[in-house]
Amino acid sequence: MNRKKGDKGFESPRPYKLTHQVVCINNINFQRKSVVGYVELTIFPTVANLNRIKLNSKQCRIYRVRVNDLEAAFIYNDPTLEVCHHESKQRNLNYFSNAYAAAVSAVDPDAGNGELCIKVPSELWKHVDELKVLKVHINFSLDQPKGGLHFVVPNMEGSMAERGAHVFSCGYQNSTRFWFPCVDSYSELCTWKLEYTVDAAMVAVSNGDLVETVYTHDMRKKTFHYMLTIPTAASNISLAIGPFEILVDPYMHEVTHFCLPQLLPLLKHTTSYLHEVFEFYEEILTCRYPYSCFKTVFIDEAYVEVAAYASMSIFSTNLLHSAMIIDETPLTRRCLAQALAQQFFGCFISRMSWSDEWVLKGISGYIYGLWMKKTFGVNEYRHWIKQELDQIVAYELKTGGVLLHPIFGGGKEKDNPASHLHFSIKHPHTLSWEYYTMFQCKAHLVMRLIENRISMEFMLQVFNKLLSLASTASSQKFQSHMWSQMLVSTSGFLKSISNVSGKDIQPLIKQWVDQSGVVKFYGSFAFNRKRNVLELEIKQDYTSPGTQKYVGPLKVTVQELDGSFNHTLQIEENSLKHDIPCHSKSRRNKKKKIPLMNGEEVDMDLSAMDADSPLLWIRIDPDMSVLRKVEFEQSDFMWQYQLRYERDVVAQEEAILALEKFPTPASRLALTDILEQEQCFYRVRMLACFCLAKIANSMVSTWTGPPAMKSLFTRMFCCKTCPNIVKTNNFMNFQSYFLQKTMPVAMALLRDVHNLCPKEVLMFILDLIKYNDNRKNKFSDNYYRAELIDALANSVTPAVSVNNEVRTLDNLNPDVRLILEEITRFLNMEKLLPSYRHTITVSCLKAIRVLQKNGHVPSDPALFKSYAEYGHFIDVRIAALEAVVDYTKVDRSYEELQWLLTMVQNDPVPYIRHKILDMLTKNPPFTKNMESPLCNEALVDQLWKLMNSGTSHDWRLRCGAVDLYFTLFGLSRPSCLPLPELGLVLNLKEKKAVLNPTIIPESVANNQEPVNSTNNHGQSVGFQNTFSNSQEEEEIDMDTVHDSQAFIYHHLNMLERPSTPGTSKEQSSGEMNMHPVSAAPLSVFSKESNSSKHSDHHHHHHHEHKKKKKKHKHKHKHKHKHDNKEKEKDPFAFSNSPASARSIRSPSLSD
Amino acid sequence: MRTAPYGSKMADTASGGSGTRSGSKHATTPADNYYLARRRTLQVVVSSLLTEAGFESAEKAAVETLTEMLQSYISEIGRSAKSYCEHTARTQPTLSDIVVTLVEMGFNVETLPAYAKRSQRMVITAPPVTNQPVTPKALTAGQNKPHPSHIPGHFPEFPDPHTYIKTPTYREPVSDYQVLREKAASQRRDVERALTRFMAKTGETQSLFKDDVSTFPLIAARPFTVPYLTALLPSELEMQQMEETDSSEQDDQTDTENLPLHMSTDDSGPEKENASVLQQNTSLSGSRNGEENVIDNPYLRPVKKPKIRRKK
Repeated sequence: MNRKKGDKGFESPRPYKLTHQVVCINNINFQRKSVVGYVELTIFPTVANLNRIKLNSKQCRIYRVRVNDLEAAFIYNDPTLEVCHHESKQRNLNYFSNAYAAAVSAVDPDAGNGELCIKVPSELWKHVDELKVLKVHINFSLDQPKGGLHFVVPNMEGSMAERGAHVFSCGYQNSTRFWFPCVDSYSELCTWKLEYTVDAAMVAVSNGDLVETVYTHDMRKKTFHYMLTIPTAASNISLAIGPFEILVDPYMHEVTHFCLPQLLPLLKHTTSYLHEVFEFYEEILTCRYPYSCFKTVFIDEAYVEVAAYASMSIFSTNLLHSAMIIDETPLTRRCLAQALAQQFFGCFISRMSWSDEWVLKGISGYIYGLWMKKTFGVNEYRHWIKQELDQIVAYELKTGGVLLHPIFGGGKEKDNPASHLHFSIKHPHTLSWEYYTMFQCKAHLVMRLIENRISMEFMLQVFNKLLSLASTASSQKFQSHMWSQMLVSTSGFLKSISNVSGKDIQPLIKQWVDQSGVVKFYGSFAFNRKRNVLELEIKQDYTSPGTQKYVGPLKVTVQELDGSFNHTLQIEENSLKHDIPCHSKSRRNKKKKIPLMNGEEVDMDLSAMDADSPLLWIRIDPDMSVLRKVEFEQSDFMWQYQLRYERDVVAQEEAILALEKFPTPASRLALTDILEQEQCFYRVRMLACFCLAKIANSMVSTWTGPPAMKSLFTRMFCCKTCPNIVKTNNFMNFQSYFLQKTMPVAMALLRDVHNLCPKEVLMFILDLIKYNDNRKNKFSDNYYRAELIDALANSVTPAVSVNNEVRTLDNLNPDVRLILEEITRFLNMEKLLPSYRHTITVSCLKAIRVLQKNGHVPSDPALFKSYAEYGHFIDVRIAALEAVVDYTKVDRSYEELQWLLTMVQNDPVPYIRHKILDMLTKNPPFTKNMESPLCNEALVDQLWKLMNSGTSHDWRLRCGAVDLYFTLFGLSRPSCLPLPELGLVLNLKEKKAVLNPTIIPESVANNQEPVNSTNNHGQSVGFQNTFSNSQEEEEIDMDTVHDSQAFIYHHLNMLERPSTPGTSKEQSSGEMNMHPVSAAPLSVFSKESNSSKHSDHHHHHHHEHKKKKKKHKHKHKHKHKHDNKEKEKDPFAFSNSPASARSIRSPSLSD
Repeated sequence: MRTAPYGSKMADTASGGSGTRSGSKHATTPADNYYLARRRTLQVVVSSLLTEAGFESAEKAAVETLTEMLQSYISEIGRSAKSYCEHTARTQPTLSDIVVTLVEMGFNVETLPAYAKRSQRMVITAPPVTNQPVTPKALTAGQNKPHPSHIPGHFPEFPDPHTYIKTPTYREPVSDYQVLREKAASQRRDVERALTRFMAKTGETQSLFKDDVSTFPLIAARPFTVPYLTALLPSELEMQQMEETDSSEQDDQTDTENLPLHMSTDDSGPEKENASVLQQNTSLSGSRNGEENVIDNPYLRPVKKPKIRRKK
């Protein structure tokens, strides 16, 4: 139903169309961190009675607005600044999430809303009625922005350029409104003129073509003039200003790279590869890079590692590396390739609405995957796909599902698309960061599934079609109304697929895009000797959260003695068992070689297998063409055969994981063989190391010979003549380099019968450190040394403590003393000869925390706190903060928690602020069901304040705070809070529980009429669309969060219609009303209508109640508990919140 | 080339030496006797010349002065002649050297034969034969090597063998790989430890144990103003290592003698300069190349001067 809209083409939610925007920043003050400038938007009204123009703007101080040179009145109101108003005692997250979603909705440009509402001067009304052009000129300034623009100003002597001060735009999703007023939507495209006046020693890098650079009259500054003629959304506009070094790409002169002073040699090396990525994408897409130029800027204190904007990308400076660094090289190249893929899909082609985001993320992720396959090989690609698949499966099973294409509003579904989540998925800005990461991951996996279905050739044709349509459209003038071709929608994309391939992929889309959840298979088999048939049983779990039922084809590969055979099973509702006829007889021909899937024929030692069965191994869904988790049971020898002879790295990795459960000498042998095999993919070998360590620990009593891997390592990396000394480093062979790094780390996990790390292993690692010699190596050994320290940390076991004695130096374990000696030396050497990205410091800090945790060293956060301070390299800070977070948890330290939370509020680096919340969420000091001295009212208030108003400048941070709040306190009112004196606090989600048959019918009856009157009113002013939608909503189950939001949103829409100016409830909310035109008081009438609707829904809900009873049983219990105390609280709680419309259901009003 | 300054220096000291020595009366060494005899002869020459010119008597001071002048004149001829002869790569002056010298000194050579044959000239007896003082044979160790056939005989003799033949004193080199590695490792470790301990002693420290701050002293973490620079740029040591490994593969033995630490501390200054120079060069060359290939990159274009608004 939603897709029909796409078929008809894009319908703008705004009563006007933007065609061109000028952004002029004429003053940037690094000292004061302020920006002064103006914007000018050229808009064409699309309705005759346009008298209000809504734009997005946050943080900006707006001085003056003129429309066609006439002064215009305006209101600035941002409900997201403070989500819940007043000193509400309301502290439950459900309430907050609803209010927050409503607040975001209220300013959502995709719904035609905005923070800035400009009244068109009455003189122009006639002009507007003729649908003539309007020019909106806004003067604004930004002072010490907390989000959107990030200033980096090192505190030292010298001019700003000498100090390397720079500023850049940043943010999560559409965040451009943080630094200039605009229509901050991905669907509102226009052409751009960008001007930046900066210090003569600085460079301003922005989107589009640099037309000219002109000195100001005093010759102290220069102005960069940019033109972007390709229609682009404001959200894809970016800026970076700093004393950058400029490097023109030697292969492609249109491409320019920028980095901070002194880093030019690194920049050269890092970007030397970029042209190959360009070539690859242009070739597979058979399409030129859409913009006339491309710029990469590497900046410090980046918000994210990679941010793609129209014709430029902003990277973290920490991606730069020299030719000596091995580990960072593939990572950085991946980032570059990712950024470039997003140039095509994401920047050039934008999206119609948030629910189409998955197409862009999917395509860019998918072509990035193709690049990976070509660059790093099929093994790496398959490994990556497997990794991503495991991640998304784990996340969905944990949280209950990721929905790629949420449908809101018009749906008839009874279930809220994301009722299992503690946040709304209706807006990108309400999403948890982790959810969004997983969302992107799922999107590209689904694209791969589509490719499996329609072939890569068709897939690329579809992309090419999208791109060529867009590039035709981009060269058109605005008047031709072609620009919407540059926006991709789910329906448009699917139509394209069906046109190109002629295949129907609806079932696939329905399964993976319109629905959340993954598939969980359990497989087992039996071999029927008489019938020579493999009886395969495949069960599914589709009742656990995050799962769904799969019906359709499923590929099973059976390796038999006579060869490998693919079978496609039809998974249906009730059939669990599948009979697969075998091709080979169990009588085996001993001399014969065994053919594999890839045509290779190998000799195998078949003595291990079951004499009666011809089966070597079985794989379910080997191509990963379902988003699934497979738990398959087969005997250990089958896993061993699979590990040794199956050529697919995914199969090998699965076999390794399965073998953990079979600690036998045969498993040991299979793993050691793999470890030694040089043709084997290095990641498989690395994984085998850890598995071998686990097996060795399980077999500790029967283990013979030297500790696992020791002789192997000696053979591979030590001198022939003196096996106790490692060869001088030579990392030319990367595969063995990675193995050399990993083996000691895995070995350190070995434990003897006393559960201690064997002395022999510890000495071995200490010797590796001692004899490490990198002087003749072409590459840096910093990662290797760091991993040796990790190995030391891995070897640490809990201290034997007598009566909790205080840890002092005297009772230090002698082994630990040796370890500590090394750590001290390494950490101190880092001060003199720092390693790349301070990897060694990071490992040392982690190791020290391990020593503290195991009781060898007194637990003390002071060291970590000093490393966590601003001014240390970011990796070091994060490692230190992680240790403090861990300390906070283990020692339940209120002081440290406060210290962390202060940093969340005050740290200059946005990424650190985000990361602290993230780490606290992942390693929480306590959780909702836990008793903890830390859990107190003050903390609740503090966190509440943080998410309510303290993080309004950064969407990501606010969502991080919400995640933390959820982890600590859950969805309902935190248990540590005292009971509210006034009894009831009501929450939407709990309304169902509140329903009291004796009250409800009455209120429904009372309120029936006002509902109609509101609707009529809406109709009368020409908002049929809204009306019909809200009619549909009558069907929605009000118990669910998001539909209710949609409901509110429609009501807001009605309230905000042009003909009734100022009735929207936000205006009363004590926001910054810069220039109030008319702030009408909250209309009781509108409230009433809302509340009445609610009652109506409750009524309706009753009918469905039984159906869903089972599902919600649990919730009900929960709700009843809070029921009474929460009810009465309500009227006081929300009178001014944007969410209030929904929540008001007080007797006084409904009477 | 190399002999010229050496020779002239010798001449200088010879003449200077004679000048100073002449004043000292209480000379007893054979060398002093030699100089005194020479001086006496010169005085006789001056006196006879004076007589020849018709003087009957002369004050002692006048004779001394004239003697001095004569001596310096002759010395100058000698020095200059030696220079000329060495200039042409000979060791012994020839007549032409003397002639050129005299011409150079403004002496009319052609008048010389006539003067030598003048009638009233006086002949003085040759000075008593006093041998050139024998420079004490200092440490002649071994026989001087005779010239090989391709070196002309007039070239100077080889110096004493001990001045150029090296006689290295070998200690039996440690060739055991294990010992070497062991030694290198422990040496490096000692240096590192000493260095870090020193740093820790001289600066602020942190400790893992509250009761003991000296056993495992950690140099205090100090924030940087620009943290990414130290974290990203390869250290000078690494840069140097990279150059070394690129240029030549060294063998194990020499490797063990140089510890990386020494290198880095010694060369840190110039290395830094080099790096920055290198950087400038590369950036310069980059933009230069750009111009050559006519790269039209807007960031390389010159900044325009502001337009002067004349409309107003």
